[in-house]
Amino acid sequence: MEAAHGGASYLISNYVFPNDLHVHWSMMIVLYPYLSGLVDGAFIVAALYYVFGVKSLKPIARFSLIFALSFLFCVGLPVMLHLGRPERNLNMLVTPSPSSAMAGGGYLFMVTLTVLLLLILFLYRAFLVTKQHESKGLKRLFYQVLTFGSDNVSEEALALDKKVIKFLAALGIPVATIFHGYVGFLFGGVKANPSWSTPLMPVIFLFSACVSGISGIILAYIVIKRIRKAPIDTACVRTLINTLFGFFILAFSFEMLEVFSHHYLRSGYHHMVQGLLNGPLFTSFWIWQVGICSFGPLLILGWLCLFRVKDSAFVIGSAVVSFILLLQVLFMRWNVIIGGQLMSKSARGYTEFHPEWFDKEGIIAVLVVMAVPFILLFILSRIFPLWVEEKNET
Amino acid sequence: MRDVIEGGDLQSTYNSHVKRIVVGLIVFVVLGFAGKKLLAPKSFGVYGHYRADAIEEAAAVDIRHGTNASCLSCHAFEAKIHLSGQHRTISCEFCHGTYADHAKDGKKIGTLPVKQNEEINTLCLRCHNRAIQARPEEVIKTIIMPAHLEDQKVKTTHFCNQCHHVHAPLRYINRAKRIVGIQETG
Amino acid sequence: MEQPESIFSGDRRQFIKKVLKGTIGGSLLLVLPAGAGNLEVPEQITGIRNRPWELSEQNFAFIVDITRCIGCGSCCVADKREFNVPDGHYRTWVERYLKDFDDAVYVDSPKGGLDGYQKPRTDIKKKIRDTFFVPKLCNMCQEPSCVQVCPVGATYRSPDGFVLVDSDRCVGCAYCIQACPYSARFLHPVTRTAEKCTWCYHRVRRGLLPACVSVCPTGARKFGDLNDPESEVTQILKGPGVITVLKKEMGNWPALYYKGLRREVV
Repeated sequence: MEAAHGGASYLISNYVFPNDLHVHWSMMIVLYPYLSGLVDGAFIVAALYYVFGVKSLKPIARFSLIFALSFLFCVGLPVMLHLGRPERNLNMLVTPSPSSAMAGGGYLFMVTLTVLLLLILFLYRAFLVTKQHESKGLKRLFYQVLTFGSDNVSEEALALDKKVIKFLAALGIPVATIFHGYVGFLFGGVKANPSWSTPLMPVIFLFSACVSGISGIILAYIVIKRIRKAPIDTACVRTLINTLFGFFILAFSFEMLEVFSHHYLRSGYHHMVQGLLNGPLFTSFWIWQVGICSFGPLLILGWLCLFRVKDSAFVIGSAVVSFILLLQVLFMRWNVIIGGQLMSKSARGYTEFHPEWFDKEGIIAVLVVMAVPFILLFILSRIFPLWVEEKNET
Repeated sequence: MRDVIEGGDLQSTYNSHVKRIVVGLIVFVVLGFAGKKLLAPKSFGVYGHYRADAIEEAAAVDIRHGTNASCLSCHAFEAKIHLSGQHRTISCEFCHGTYADHAKDGKKIGTLPVKQNEEINTLCLRCHNRAIQARPEEVIKTIIMPAHLEDQKVKTTHFCNQCHHVHAPLRYINRAKRIVGIQETG
Repeated sequence: MEQPESIFSGDRRQFIKKVLKGTIGGSLLLVLPAGAGNLEVPEQITGIRNRPWELSEQNFAFIVDITRCIGCGSCCVADKREFNVPDGHYRTWVERYLKDFDDAVYVDSPKGGLDGYQKPRTDIKKKIRDTFFVPKLCNMCQEPSCVQVCPVGATYRSPDGFVLVDSDRCVGCAYCIQACPYSARFLHPVTRTAEKCTWCYHRVRRGLLPACVSVCPTGARKFGDLNDPESEVTQILKGPGVITVLKKEMGNWPALYYKGLRREVV
């Protein structure tokens, strides 16, 4: 019997370093890039309208921003649940290490929140001023605060607002990009992990963030409109689907390039990554992420974008493909983050991950964290109407 | 040309809100950085991006192990035997427990365990079991149990310390050999 | 075998008489100042105590000699006791490597070697050609990736070359644990902050050897002052012979050196 040679011979005894048995970055750390990716993707959709003037996206332009804001308010939640000492989280703001990607998170979050919040407040300012005049007491004070104590809606003021909106939206593109891009670099900068340390990591994270954001917008738009029994602007959905197709081709190409390139080069600890993808991660990577959730959507998107499809079928197809792609991005985050930790640094074995139900990073906690942004979206929609035709303003 | 709207309780120009936002942001940033400076620990940044006081805190951690010298300084009887034998490089505290569990400020605060019977066999075999194969002969002498007992024509229920003094393992062996007249093996 | 001279000649009664006569008291450097159970024992690293500790002038080396490790696990036990290391986590551990005649390598480390290696592996059906033990601990890198990624400055490389953790600052994000190529770090389940081997900084500062070095019966672990030209580590590092480090390609420039390291070790 021929003995295994080369890298494969390292995996005979499945030896895991004693300190590698435990997976430290669990499901909350999978959720953090997922949520921040949704923020980034939703913002890019809004930017396509406000900066690049894609008129067909007008119906969901404001919706995308409110959607982004609801998720942005929640990005801190998985992080706080993960930290061993969450009460010390201010340390990241008080003594951020200039060499640590993670230290950038706190400040980048504040900048992103400022830009997004200001953008929304400027967009809705005329409407909020009207609401201010219609209200009394505490509610009136609330609207005054939101309008920065100004009820000037003269033409000059509105013209200034338009300039500020353009500026903020344009500024928002690099801000949102860096806000999610640093998360990708957080992983890309870890040389000790063979599946994380690649310069492509921020790129892959960014493109798949756009995929998740656009899919999230499409699915939320269709679902909310259906619940309210309101009409769906199919031209808008078609534009979104075309954009989604483009971003997904890019994201998927980079993901596959990464795998193929390492497979060809076979350098370093490649045998670990190969053993991981063909072993513990076979089902969740090849069957789910690549097979069902990538090739499936490629076919559906191809059909939707390249063929003449009736509106009713188009809407259903869009909702289905968006849902599958939201799953694809979640699988991708899972396979990279948790999958990457299954490889022991011994280069000789793999550990196992067992999700708990009731842990602070457990399944129930994950479901709660995923639900909170939607609750926030509902609350925010009461303050900032999601669609233009529901307001008495232009 | 200013278009000042007079009405209600607000008097705003066309750019009041922008001015307020800019001022507000500047105030927030200034206060933020002031707060950052105030909240940062005092010794931070002296040598690098960390709390310099942490170095001395790390140096002040309590010691739990003494050294063999600290044990032998009180236990002179055992010292004489231990230092004369092949086990002189073995730590007393490995078999018996740490100094910190035994003495403090010159007073005994606890009794350290002494291994008995099967525990002794287990402890000896930790190092001397040849079945592990990785133990070079020039570093340590190894045996296989129960073959060792059979070779020495001794009951296989014997514990190691029935022939070997745990602190000086060849002490009785050599004494026996001298009595019988066999050359000492050193 | 030579008989030791001087103070220990004679029996216990004689010894006590000598102490009471005061001939021994001074030379024994006996027990100590009150407060925190601090104790003074004869210096193990010469020269540390008779001069102030200048942070920027220290230069220590830790060498692991694979040819002398017998897998007794004394180091693991001592380390666990010195720091009350929680079960399932390890500041140091010992690995066993088995090699068969087809060059296949089987590695294990049951409980990190805490119980030593009392029994051979029974699960390998092939004939074993060779076995050896490899102690592992923090590599005290000169360009530590753990320090690079810590977001709050809780882990750092002190000017005297020790990579340490400030438990008061650590937020328990576990980024350093991901970044360490040697898996030297873990998250303490009770304090929920990061921890790792410190080369017993608290002992070295007092002129004592790290606990694992102090208890090693065969001299497989060596620690010493490179500023001392007579120290064993200086002799080894300045002399001929192959000295290696683990995972050199990572670019961390570890300060933990291995003598007699085999190519199968990662």
